[in-house]
Amino acid sequence: MAAPVAALDPLVRIKQPHGLSPRIRWLREHFFRGVDRPWNNEWACFSTGTPWDVLYEELSYYIVPETFAFLQPFRASTLQAASDVELPKGFWRMSLPERRAWFIREVMVEQLPQEVLPGDLIAGGRFAIQASRCWDKHEARARDKAVAQARAAVQWFHRHGYGNAGATSGHLIPDHPRLLELGWEGVHRDLEARLASLPRRQRRGAHGDQLRAMLTAATMPRDLALRYRTLCQKLAAEAETPERAAELDTMADNLARVPWKPARSFWEAVQALWINHMLVISDECYPGAGVSFGRMDQYLLPYWERSRAEGMDRAQGKEILSCFWVHANHVYDAMIKLGGNQGITAGFGQLVTLSGLGPGGRDMTNDLTWAILEVIDELSPILEPKPNLRLHSDSPPELLERAVEMIAASQGAPFLLNFDERSMAGMLRQAKEAGVRHLIHPGNVHDYAPVGCLENTMQGNDRSGTVDINVELVKAVELALTGGVDLLPAVDPVTGAPDPIQQDGPATGDATGFASFERFWQAYEAQTVALIQRAFALYEHSETIRARYSPTPYLSCLVRGCAERGLDITQGGAELSFVTVEAIGFATTVDSLLAVQYLVFDQQICTMAELIAALRDNWEGREQLQARACYRAPKYGRDDPEADALAQRVMQLWTRECWKHTTSTGRRGRPGMLSWNYWVGDGYVLSATPDGRAKGRFLSNAICPSNGADIHGPTANTNSVGAVLGGHAPDGHGDWKDWLCCLPNGASHTITFHPAMLQGPEHKAKFQAFLLGYARNGGTALQVNVLDPEILREAQRRPQDFRHLLVRVTGYNAYFSSIGRELQDEIIARETHRCTV
Amino acid sequence: MHEHRQQARIFSVQRMSTEDGPGIRTTVFFEGCSLACDWCHNPESIDRQPRAIWHGWKCMACDSCLAVCKRGAIERHEEGLRVDAQRCAGCGACSDACPTTAMEPKALVRDLESLLAEVARDRAYYDRSGGGVTVSGGEPTLQAPFVQAFLEACQAAGLHTTLDTCGQCGTEVLRSLISHADLVLYDLKLMDEDSHRQHTGHGLARILGNLEAIWAGDDAGSAPPLWIRTPLIPGVTATPAGVQAIGRFLAERLGDRVQRWELCAFNNLCQDKYQRLGLDWAYQGQASMGMPELEVLAQAARASGVEPSLVHMSGPGVQS
Repeated sequence: MAAPVAALDPLVRIKQPHGLSPRIRWLREHFFRGVDRPWNNEWACFSTGTPWDVLYEELSYYIVPETFAFLQPFRASTLQAASDVELPKGFWRMSLPERRAWFIREVMVEQLPQEVLPGDLIAGGRFAIQASRCWDKHEARARDKAVAQARAAVQWFHRHGYGNAGATSGHLIPDHPRLLELGWEGVHRDLEARLASLPRRQRRGAHGDQLRAMLTAATMPRDLALRYRTLCQKLAAEAETPERAAELDTMADNLARVPWKPARSFWEAVQALWINHMLVISDECYPGAGVSFGRMDQYLLPYWERSRAEGMDRAQGKEILSCFWVHANHVYDAMIKLGGNQGITAGFGQLVTLSGLGPGGRDMTNDLTWAILEVIDELSPILEPKPNLRLHSDSPPELLERAVEMIAASQGAPFLLNFDERSMAGMLRQAKEAGVRHLIHPGNVHDYAPVGCLENTMQGNDRSGTVDINVELVKAVELALTGGVDLLPAVDPVTGAPDPIQQDGPATGDATGFASFERFWQAYEAQTVALIQRAFALYEHSETIRARYSPTPYLSCLVRGCAERGLDITQGGAELSFVTVEAIGFATTVDSLLAVQYLVFDQQICTMAELIAALRDNWEGREQLQARACYRAPKYGRDDPEADALAQRVMQLWTRECWKHTTSTGRRGRPGMLSWNYWVGDGYVLSATPDGRAKGRFLSNAICPSNGADIHGPTANTNSVGAVLGGHAPDGHGDWKDWLCCLPNGASHTITFHPAMLQGPEHKAKFQAFLLGYARNGGTALQVNVLDPEILREAQRRPQDFRHLLVRVTGYNAYFSSIGRELQDEIIARETHRCTV
Repeated sequence: MHEHRQQARIFSVQRMSTEDGPGIRTTVFFEGCSLACDWCHNPESIDRQPRAIWHGWKCMACDSCLAVCKRGAIERHEEGLRVDAQRCAGCGACSDACPTTAMEPKALVRDLESLLAEVARDRAYYDRSGGGVTVSGGEPTLQAPFVQAFLEACQAAGLHTTLDTCGQCGTEVLRSLISHADLVLYDLKLMDEDSHRQHTGHGLARILGNLEAIWAGDDAGSAPPLWIRTPLIPGVTATPAGVQAIGRFLAERLGDRVQRWELCAFNNLCQDKYQRLGLDWAYQGQASMGMPELEVLAQAARASGVEPSLVHMSGPGVQS
């Protein structure tokens, strides 16, 4: 089906799945049938039946401001939809983690139907649940009181343009290799030994309660697998062909063994991995965002190789992987009736990490890496699991070639690219800053992997709360201009009532009296310090509530440190327990500071009072001043050493402040840059900014330059990003080799390219070289966008936002915005023509 | 004009250039050209008179520039502003007054040190791609003392250098530049003397003479390798006979010194620029060149006696 299109147009071919077996094609298409499927994985709700019961844990959604108005309706509707589960005798006498562990296991094993799709090679179809939090009346009441405060606080924070914070689920990599190696039986045995060795008092206390809860949780995968085994046996008896019957028999045999026993074959390992993974989603009652797999091509490799040696056909191995791939998409079913897109609201980011460095600086690309890349290419476009390809300065040329081929063949990269040296430098910086060198060091840092979108963590022992605190850095600029009060009154989105203007931030003085930019910087610094302090204080609300009331004993079994400490992961049990502060609008902030310096102090184009008045009026009547701020003031992202020096100053101040804070659960702050969708939404909340942005316009995205500011092209843009992360140590002694990186979490960076930049073997080779240059000069991660004509049309409508867009014209590249209307029409017409003929 | 070693008039600096030689490059476009090809895509770069250029897409129509121009050189037309080339003295008052950079000086005076620092910033990409720095134009040989010093400095800094020239210059000037160039991109448009004169304003004597003197002589082996570039202009250069004539010359006279021959497909993407500048363009309304047409010319090139694998096509319509 793709062939005729391909023959016509190599430039903007719409990516199509290809080479799929009838089985996989059916499973893929079945997924996209959405609500028309006979059954789906929509949240099933289960209650203890008490009148005070709560299923919906709203803390996980405090970082999703769009849901604020729906928190109460969700809570009510999940309870309304719930079936009551019969509780065992003595249930309410158990500790909360034990109650919860029992309840989740009961739901998953006894209540939720088991489903296997026709032709599927992996069992485990239903896992999305909303289950009772198992609070008794007293707990529910106390928690409700605390939550009311926390909810009001986060809503205030968002409404005033500070950002958001909340203890969120997901966003970590469970210790899958250990589970495959030991099986749950081994984990169970270990927990039993730990419990038995506890002194009596501890055994009867919270420590013992936690281990007992984990013991219960550890039996859930075994019991569920046995249910699926029974189902497979039944389906085998009914199978229409002997081939399918044989498959189902093997699946039943697999399930009789894994995930309880160690996996032996590749099929067993993938089956075990899927059940272990999906139960994390059940345990957290969270749709699965950021529940990531880590370096799957490394830890599944021994099973792949063994099965290959024992005669598993490569195509069969890929067939198993493809089934797994389709399974991961069923996470979107959780809210399948929400919106018009089968519940797909945003990519959930169950990340798979591929390739990258290993011990001794060795590249770890292997046969399984290639097989997984083939699976991705054959199934794409598909959203989950989201692949992340780790590149480094010595990545094999064939891998780079393949990556660029795949990028060129799709409208955007089918994967995120991670860059090892800069990322590892960041993780090692974390080890130094936070005193965890015994856990992250040059000998193991190569085993880092990203979660969610691109947030770097270690594997199997790390919860770094990578989306938990999101701070609008540019709010500090606003508060520096006003001396610590909102520039415009915040408005309640429901009632429309304005909040009173009051001294929320430190009183940093009347900015109109500042004699120098340095004085303004001092005010900005004081506001930034207070802003981050305030964000942590806000986070503390939900962190303490979750730690007290929402244990996840199953997940705790999968993260090293919890069993050892007898602490749930929500209580800081993980060996590496951090909470990441993600800065939003970095470039908007830097550019705003640069504009204040340029407009008020260096060029004296306006006074501070005039600038503040213009911002208050959203630039109305001051369009020329706004234009000067937009176009004449220096900007971050142009590889301009002076502008980037201020960007570094902003970065250093902010990262320094992030490291200063620790939660009551012992989780240290660490810095990152991921703006998710806040840079869009919060653009309507935050007032106009000195960089020329009007209220209602987007902020800058993560570590990217402001939209349209990077007028010197992709290399200059990349150099600026690398420079603000720290660049290279002049003496050669960086955090990793000579690389420096102040963001352990990493930073989201997107660059947009015209398809012609990736057209033909010569351009592809140049693009490979660009990626190697990126590894040297750039950031921790890169998302490559390849533009389609629709985006070009948008560029015509808003040229100021697309000044960075390079198009290849003929024999030279030109900026799309600069080439005039007819030329633009020509390019658009040509490409539209090509993809529709 | 600016014929010294430390400063030059630079039209633009293009980073991550992928079209001006091997690898990822930074291309420096020098102002002024010794030819005046009637198909030129950058007609404003031909003369070396300082003046302002108006970029309509950035203009907010505030008329600040009109207010500050003392020579009355800026006029409002139906399609926007127009700078009168005769009246504009390039004083820069309008671009200083412009809030949006819609009005900008045509070229900037750059000093060698700052230019070198800028091109060196992308070393990581050059190193990984076999790229480097390309001096282009306009015509870089018109600012030879600076270009020579710049190429020398680039080489001293370990950067690969490429000279992109139309060949319309003195042989000694060219020799002085190629001694610091690792590669030369050389335009060869037509082999017919009259047609060449008609469409570019000059005959072929110097262009062919330079090629013969440097790349066909006894010491040709010490000259840097050549990439020949031929723009395919409908009705002018884009004929199989014309292309074959060039190919024969390359095969017979330059032999193994030619590493690559690029046929650059015609496109009409600059016609609005001519309108904006108030200039007539001889190719107004002419369609951009499509793949079937190009393939015919490429076949002609491959059959001309040149090693066929040296023939490359470039342009927006080119499919690989």
